[in-house]
Amino acid sequence: MLRTVGAIAAGAGSLGALTACSGTGGEAAGGQAGAAGEKDKGRITVWSWQGPAAEMKALVPEFNKKYPGIEVTVEDIGNPAIWDKITTGLAAGGQGLADVLHIGVDYLPGYVEKFPGGLADLAPLGADTYRDAFAQGMWQTVSPDGKRVNALPWEANSAGFYYRADLFEKAGVDAGALQTWEETIEAGKEIKAKTGAHLLGIDKPASQADAANFFQMLLQLQGAFYFDLGGNITLDSPESVKAMTLIKTMNDAGLVSDLAGGWNALMSSLKQGTAAVLPMPTWFGGIIEEQVPQEAGKWKVRLPPAVRRGGSTAATVNSTHLAVAGGSKHRAAAWSFIEFVLTRPASQVRIYRGKGIAPALMRAYEDAVFHEPSAFFGGQKKGEVFLEALKAPSPAFNYTADYARALKLVTDAQSKVLLSGADPAKVLKEAADQLGRQTGRKVSR
Amino acid sequence: MTSPSTASAPSATRAGRGVRAVAARGTARRPRAGRRAAPYLFVLPALLLFAAFKLYPIGRSFVISLHKTVGGSDRFVGADNYARLLHDPLFWTALKNTAVILAVQVPVMLALATGLAVALDSTALRARAVFRLGFFLPMVTGLVAYGIVFSVLLNKDYGLVNWLTGLVGLDPSPWLTDPLWAKVSLGLALTWHYTGYNAVILLARLQSVPAELYDAAAVDGAGPWHAFRHVTLPGLRPALLLTTVLSTIGTLQIFDEPYVLTGGGPDNATLTIGVYVYQNAFKYFDFGYASAIAYALAVLIGILGVIQFRFLGEKS
Repeated sequence: MLRTVGAIAAGAGSLGALTACSGTGGEAAGGQAGAAGEKDKGRITVWSWQGPAAEMKALVPEFNKKYPGIEVTVEDIGNPAIWDKITTGLAAGGQGLADVLHIGVDYLPGYVEKFPGGLADLAPLGADTYRDAFAQGMWQTVSPDGKRVNALPWEANSAGFYYRADLFEKAGVDAGALQTWEETIEAGKEIKAKTGAHLLGIDKPASQADAANFFQMLLQLQGAFYFDLGGNITLDSPESVKAMTLIKTMNDAGLVSDLAGGWNALMSSLKQGTAAVLPMPTWFGGIIEEQVPQEAGKWKVRLPPAVRRGGSTAATVNSTHLAVAGGSKHRAAAWSFIEFVLTRPASQVRIYRGKGIAPALMRAYEDAVFHEPSAFFGGQKKGEVFLEALKAPSPAFNYTADYARALKLVTDAQSKVLLSGADPAKVLKEAADQLGRQTGRKVSR
Repeated sequence: MTSPSTASAPSATRAGRGVRAVAARGTARRPRAGRRAAPYLFVLPALLLFAAFKLYPIGRSFVISLHKTVGGSDRFVGADNYARLLHDPLFWTALKNTAVILAVQVPVMLALATGLAVALDSTALRARAVFRLGFFLPMVTGLVAYGIVFSVLLNKDYGLVNWLTGLVGLDPSPWLTDPLWAKVSLGLALTWHYTGYNAVILLARLQSVPAELYDAAAVDGAGPWHAFRHVTLPGLRPALLLTTVLSTIGTLQIFDEPYVLTGGGPDNATLTIGVYVYQNAFKYFDFGYASAIAYALAVLIGILGVIQFRFLGEKS
């Protein structure tokens, strides 16, 4: 009997780790309890990742000229590590969180919904005055009810189409004239035949969650998403099936290289010139310049072709935001920093110069840097390409708190299509049904 | 048969002397109650830590498993989370994957470990300590570090393994990107990591098997194989039971390797229960459901542990 108890106890041991980090974060992170601290005094910590962290760090001396009393420490937590770290902190009722948190649009609704009070309401601190300062759709993202402001927008990334102009030229295809993705697939066949390069690359086994980025872009170009604005599941909508079918057609024609392994594979593919097109959002231009500086002049950028003839070529595919932890004792000082970084055009211009990170702050685009010809991109005015997309009418997308679950099911479905030739309509329907069962949301058909 | 009087007399005297001795020492130093309490005082800190960091979380996790977070507050839902398990295809996939690893990898690893232990025990081997260290070393390697090393080694396009198999004319294998190969890779990584550890446990036991038994077997005309079957294996039984149970528990909880190597993919081919618990808790913020999965796992481990003790334990 003792042995039996021992065996069960050993099994129970596996439970411990989880509980230590669980909870609702309701009480301790209650947020607005206690003073917000002073607006120009205090010691604050900022969590971000790689490029943006470096840019914020560079802004600190300037910030300190205006606010000498605030000591800022910017920490590069890394992406995707930062999401686990923020989740753990929020689940622990705000314990150990930084004062300022950099959060992607894919995580923001989940954090807000699952950890009420985990993020401070920025409206009382003065965020409301910037309601109209940002690209359209942004305010709805950070303030869904129009009252509470969960964060302030930073990046607004539009769908882009970075391409190797030299490869297109060799294949005798005019990249600028491509109107639809169907035409692009035909062009891809020419490129493959004449240069050996693939049209584009996808992380086929979905080793990272962002393996579905391209699928999502095709979806958003059609104004569609995983959920509608009412929160119903639209994972197997005609738009969705169309997007997955395009991917399958490309793959079946041998035009898709495998980027298994995620970011590292993407970088080595970029350096080796495996693919002629990188269907990536605004910020990726900076990465290309950084990774293959010797290829200056060979690259160009345009907005992606439409999914259906005459359809939209503009979509805001993602955005990032700065939020203040609800449990922070220096919320006012943290707000001062956010305000300095995000609402002052000079800060955003400097960040754009440094890493090509596109601001959501519309006034920043008045600066000449967005209208200069880029030597790397063959003398193109890259900033204007994306500004055009940002100004185009673009619907808001509802990420909901269940985005992570939806994304997981989508990447699984995509892997089935790419690795074993599954039928797009069938796998998407299965995914939608399963998401419905998991989340209790209605599948809209 | 000795008569009761002769048998009990000396023992009574011994007991009497013992009591007197204890009493004498007891009164000389400190009261009896203090002596009784002393061991409990010594284990108290460990007990308190155990209660705070093991017992409490285990209990709390059960409470959480009966709740669901709705709009930021916990709502009691009874056994809903457990009912959900039964209809969750991903849970069953995870369970199946874990079972496959358990059924294939654990026996292979323990067989290897046994062979290794016998080899490392052999006096014919020079520099035994170096070999023992070499095989044990993977155990102290950080889980994430070795996961990353394996993912580099097994990379389809740039990995060392495919480069080597390429030298002998084999096509590159999609180690981490094909559902079947991903399982194989996971098994390889696990075997590399834990074989030496199990071999060391088996080796320790092996060294307590009396040499006379081998001499006796040799006299009876047993060759090396018979000696292994009839002396070594029975001698190893308790250690084999221990390693089997430890490996079973370890395998059922396996998390690090699939998390780092494959992320549970492709298409959930390497999704284990551990990874699924993690995803539900930290990716989907569904702590109630994650706790329910963890409890299902704990019960499963308990049941398997009992079965293993029944089968392997009783004959010892």
